[in-house]
Amino acid sequence: MASPSQAELAKSLAMAQQELDYRVDLFNRMTSSCFEKCMDRRYKDGELNVGEHSCVDRCCAKYWQVTGIVGQMLGAQGQGM
Amino acid sequence: MEGMENLPEEQRDALLQKIEELQVRDSLRTYNSVVERCFVDCVSSFRSKNLDSTEEKCVSRCCEKFLKHAARVGMRFGEMSSQSEQQMQQMMQQQAQQGR
Repeated sequence: MASPSQAELAKSLAMAQQELDYRVDLFNRMTSSCFEKCMDRRYKDGELNVGEHSCVDRCCAKYWQVTGIVGQMLGAQGQGM
Repeated sequence: MEGMENLPEEQRDALLQKIEELQVRDSLRTYNSVVERCFVDCVSSFRSKNLDSTEEKCVSRCCEKFLKHAARVGMRFGEMSSQSEQQMQQMMQQQAQQGR
């Protein structure tokens, strides 16, 4: 099989960059949302207590699931066009 | 990063360069967002130009808390990412086998 053309390589690099941007954005939004949902904003302490730890873990899991559902639905919509 | 081994060297270098740029940009954005968040949460009186000790402590704790929180999210994010990745690979393998 012939080696990929310049155009194909440029395209795969661009895709990789898009993927990276997307993941960074996802992480930042997850961090921000779960901070707002889980943290005691009175800041009595710099440490996270046990409740906050659990909340963060569950928040991340749920956020990830939402990402999956939305991904499926947006994907399905794309195919219906 | 997955799939990077398949790219030729100059593409890999370009990608690594890009990753580093994103890291710098991301650090600067995190800096600004933590400042804003801790300011909004901790500072609410303006009788003086200087932060009082309550506000200072609050800002320190807020910052510490956010960093620890972000570290934990990062851990979970990594776990869930690699789990999804494994599931995808399994699915693709199954599809490939069914296609034979």
